[in-house]
Amino acid sequence: MRRAGTRIGTWVGLALCLLCAGCKGGAAVTVDIRVPRPLVEPVDVTMGVYFDETLKSYVHEEELDDHGAYRIDIGASQAPVFAQVFEAMFRSVAPVEVRFGDDGAPASVDGGMAPALDGVLAPRIEEVQFAIPAQTGGEFYEVWIRYQIRLLAADGKPLAEWPLIGYGKANKANYGAIDQKAAALNEATIWALRDAAALLSFQFQEQAEVQDWLAAVNEDA
Amino acid sequence: MSRRDARHRFRRLGRRARRRGAAWATGLALLVGAGAGSGCGVQSTVQQVRQAQTDLGDHSIVVLSRKHKTQGETEDDFVACVSDGVGAGEDSLPVLREREFVDATFPWFEPRTAPLTMDDLAKVISRPLIAERIRDIGVRYLVWIEGTTERSDEGGSLQCTVVTGGIPACFGFLSWENGANYEASVWDVHLGMNVGTLSSEATGTSFVPAVVVPLPFIARVRQRACQNLSDQIKGFLAPTA
Repeated sequence: MRRAGTRIGTWVGLALCLLCAGCKGGAAVTVDIRVPRPLVEPVDVTMGVYFDETLKSYVHEEELDDHGAYRIDIGASQAPVFAQVFEAMFRSVAPVEVRFGDDGAPASVDGGMAPALDGVLAPRIEEVQFAIPAQTGGEFYEVWIRYQIRLLAADGKPLAEWPLIGYGKANKANYGAIDQKAAALNEATIWALRDAAALLSFQFQEQAEVQDWLAAVNEDA
Repeated sequence: MSRRDARHRFRRLGRRARRRGAAWATGLALLVGAGAGSGCGVQSTVQQVRQAQTDLGDHSIVVLSRKHKTQGETEDDFVACVSDGVGAGEDSLPVLREREFVDATFPWFEPRTAPLTMDDLAKVISRPLIAERIRDIGVRYLVWIEGTTERSDEGGSLQCTVVTGGIPACFGFLSWENGANYEASVWDVHLGMNVGTLSSEATGTSFVPAVVVPLPFIARVRQRACQNLSDQIKGFLAPTA
């Protein structure tokens, strides 16, 4: 009987440890998603697209006081998400390589076998932030992804640059009584990526420099 | 005591412990089942305002939640429950799942881009690509759900411990009030207007008395609100003879 009591005590202890781990253990998520093809009218240009290595392998790691270590790996989703959006946004799209000068500015574009380009888009990831309800006292797990979208001329000359911030959230009420940080952060990150894709497809033609560039492209055509 | 006697005694004790454990488990399951199954008193009210006639024809509906708010976002399982409720039963209506609709119309119904007013919707569906896609998927009515289930007026306390013999036991009394308050706005995509508003409220008190074994008596207000709202939507959009 004493042995049975000890065994139950061990299980209770283990359950308590698991509960504590659930509260303070942090989370690690790897987000690898695709977004649907956006329903937008394509702009009549041939666009080169360039995804740098930092974008394609981006991982955000952060240690939160009292809430553990967090790791959000979004690298695998970047190129597929941007490619899907760009393919819907433009008449034709071609992958290119961009070479950068010592000052970090784009120096030249290598289009390879690509057709004559009207311009090149090179998104750059700047920052990822997240928040959990235990920190904010709110109802949501939240994720922000900040990009810089750069438009270059076909020869690599910078034409325009603007920020793009994708925001996603996941309601903690959807994740039950037992804390499911990883699942909730995964959901919030997916919505942040979808949000960035949505805003990019809407905002591209709203940029003043983009409108000037489009006018010039149409004039040359 | 010989080794054989000891083995017999050990087996006998094991059988007795298993029988006792099984009896505890059966009793607990019966009590919990009775408590949860009996349900507590849930009071519910429904309201409906119709602003125009509806004609579903051979189209379908989609049940959506608002996701732009910073608080009070409707729970996903409530939206799924209503969607399933409308799509089930004898008087079921054709329903497209929320995620399928949002994906099919990407990026126009995302949390930050979805139309909040009828004017916004009119602008969205005036775009040929969107109009064509909505025609293709056959959706005529968008049912926007807002609201949540809140827990309030909590009282009492419950303490659990492991008593002699390693048996867990709880003592005390817990109670709380649950209130489910949901509203559905029905938008007609073809007419570009709000054709009606439906609401479903349910309240109930849940309690858990415990003398060794806790007995949960849970007021299933969210399920009641879901069932009522589903029935209302079916009645509101049902094809008229």
